[in-house]
Amino acid sequence: MADVTFGWSEQHLMVRQALRQFMEKELKPIVWDLEDGKVLPYEFARKLANTFGLAELVRGMWARRKEKKAAGDREAAAGEIAAFRDPAMSALLVIEMCRYSPGAALAFGASLGLCGQTILSKGTDDQIERFAIPVLTAEKVGCWGLTEPEAGSDAFSMRTTARLDGDYYILNGSKTLITNAPYADTFVVYARMKSPTPDNAAREAIHAFILERGMPGLSTGQPFKKMGMHASPTGEIFLSDVRVPRANLLGGKEKDPSRDQAVGVLMGERTAMPSMCLGIVERLLDECVRYSKERKQFGRPIAEFQLVQQKIANLFVTREIIEMYVHKMIWMQQNGIKSMKEASAAKLYCGRATVEAGLDAVQVFGGAGYIRDAGVEMMVRDAKLFTIGGGTDEIQIGWIARELLKD
Amino acid sequence: MKILVAVKRVPDTTVKLKLKPDGTGVVTDGVNFEVNPFDVIAVEEALRLKEKAGGGEVIVATIGSKDATQQLRHGLAMGADRGILVVNDDDNAIDADVVARTLKAVVAKEQPTLVLVGKQSPDGESNQVPQMLAEHLGWPQATFASKVVVAADKASAEVTREADGGLETLSVRLPAVISADLRLNEPRYASLPGIMKAKAKKIDEFTFESLGVAKAPKVTAVGFFAPPERKAGAVVASVEELVNKLKNEAKVLG
Repeated sequence: MADVTFGWSEQHLMVRQALRQFMEKELKPIVWDLEDGKVLPYEFARKLANTFGLAELVRGMWARRKEKKAAGDREAAAGEIAAFRDPAMSALLVIEMCRYSPGAALAFGASLGLCGQTILSKGTDDQIERFAIPVLTAEKVGCWGLTEPEAGSDAFSMRTTARLDGDYYILNGSKTLITNAPYADTFVVYARMKSPTPDNAAREAIHAFILERGMPGLSTGQPFKKMGMHASPTGEIFLSDVRVPRANLLGGKEKDPSRDQAVGVLMGERTAMPSMCLGIVERLLDECVRYSKERKQFGRPIAEFQLVQQKIANLFVTREIIEMYVHKMIWMQQNGIKSMKEASAAKLYCGRATVEAGLDAVQVFGGAGYIRDAGVEMMVRDAKLFTIGGGTDEIQIGWIARELLKD
Repeated sequence: MKILVAVKRVPDTTVKLKLKPDGTGVVTDGVNFEVNPFDVIAVEEALRLKEKAGGGEVIVATIGSKDATQQLRHGLAMGADRGILVVNDDDNAIDADVVARTLKAVVAKEQPTLVLVGKQSPDGESNQVPQMLAEHLGWPQATFASKVVVAADKASAEVTREADGGLETLSVRLPAVISADLRLNEPRYASLPGIMKAKAKKIDEFTFESLGVAKAPKVTAVGFFAPPERKAGAVVASVEELVNKLKNEAKVLG
């Protein structure tokens, strides 16, 4: 039975169909090479950006914005960036990538979404042109560095510092668990501003800086060996007296720190996670339906056993709820509604439900599901990230309760 | 260069179709539809020929219900310039000849230099429309094309066909009808900007009446039935038993 398509326009469905064909042809055959680290996800990201005209869209948007700004129409220029952001299209990209490789989607999202969009949102025109456009067209690899060894859930207790020295900031410290860090060209790094006049509160604030590979004192570690998301390289960033030009302070104003901006990114990340979960659960459901009809035990397909049916029905219910969350998150983004408790609730529910769905799918496959070729055990390991990354479940619960109980 | 491409809405080729219990056709409720994959290849070839010619127009046309607009949009998203829908609500009420005569009427309106179509569709598998259309138009035809080269003066085209023993190259005067085979090209994906632009592209609607085409099929489907299910095999204990069965039961050995 074809599914009821809810909340997607005819255009969205066309995009989705084109993306699915592309992923089947370009991503599916390299899934295990990505898992084993034999190929990196960035060549694939470039192909995706070029084939689907993402790069063309980014360049077109930027050219029109510059034109309108030159003509003195600031409002129209700002409108170009707003129109470029289409949360439904972003969601479809992520959903279809996650059908085959949540890790590839994570690497893609961290580069274009976290790094590229951060610079596009808050950067100066010069910063957007130099750093955001190459990342958003997937020519360059971006990463976004907030977490530190001693500042995980308590992210803003960070120890990385920036100190003004003439025309440069001197950055010291380290970041960890940063997606794409081992291979990134462009780094957005958060640091606490230290100044010779500590009475200036703004200067103690958290700021973001744009760093480039090759800056003396900037180095990265080897990719970590993780439980899941093997297709997405994760690692550390080390900063030892890195001299960062003043022009690389995100947004260019010391009076305008970036802590709120970072919270906004975290909220955006939470909003995007249900889409990743939807791609995974849809794939698991399809695989379980197919396998349970093919696999015979006791003389009949296992799909005829009620305990298997229950798992498959549950997978469908989970898919339905996650899809509704996806549409709610898209709607919130389209309407500019920023509310952390909704974003946290969506991420909390979808992450947990996807891990559970993955375990059920492995169970439907039985012994075959425990072997990686079936493609379902990878999904469980990948999905486990959603209960930890972008704020642990416990942190999400805290945000929800705090917002409900404040005043 | 003006190129007309005929496309057909067909059930998703990867799904298992079910017959209606009364044998009047296949169940289409809940089935996903797509553009006939051979027609997608024809659209791609038309776009490439237009690009190579440095200009022109690619028109995608279909005969079908309003839902077939989706398949026209797919062609428009790939890069075709506009679409034509001839509205028909009952696929069983027309045959290849009606389709060919309808396309002839569209050709009369549009006057293209070339008509490109998929060699056949995966639903009916009849492989008749391109040949019939060429005959009705009195145009040359080149079927099962695996390579198409249009001459610089656009007066002729060289078409390579895959025959059983090798390749055959034909030269056809233009205008002509060319049908696309599997290895003609690898179609592009519809891009995001392409899909966005497709929404604004024009689709003209016609009826058989407005085109002056008599909807009088020469062939009608009498009934559909599934092939008999294959029976399970038997295990034999010895070669002697096997030979005996082949001789006396299957009667395939003398």
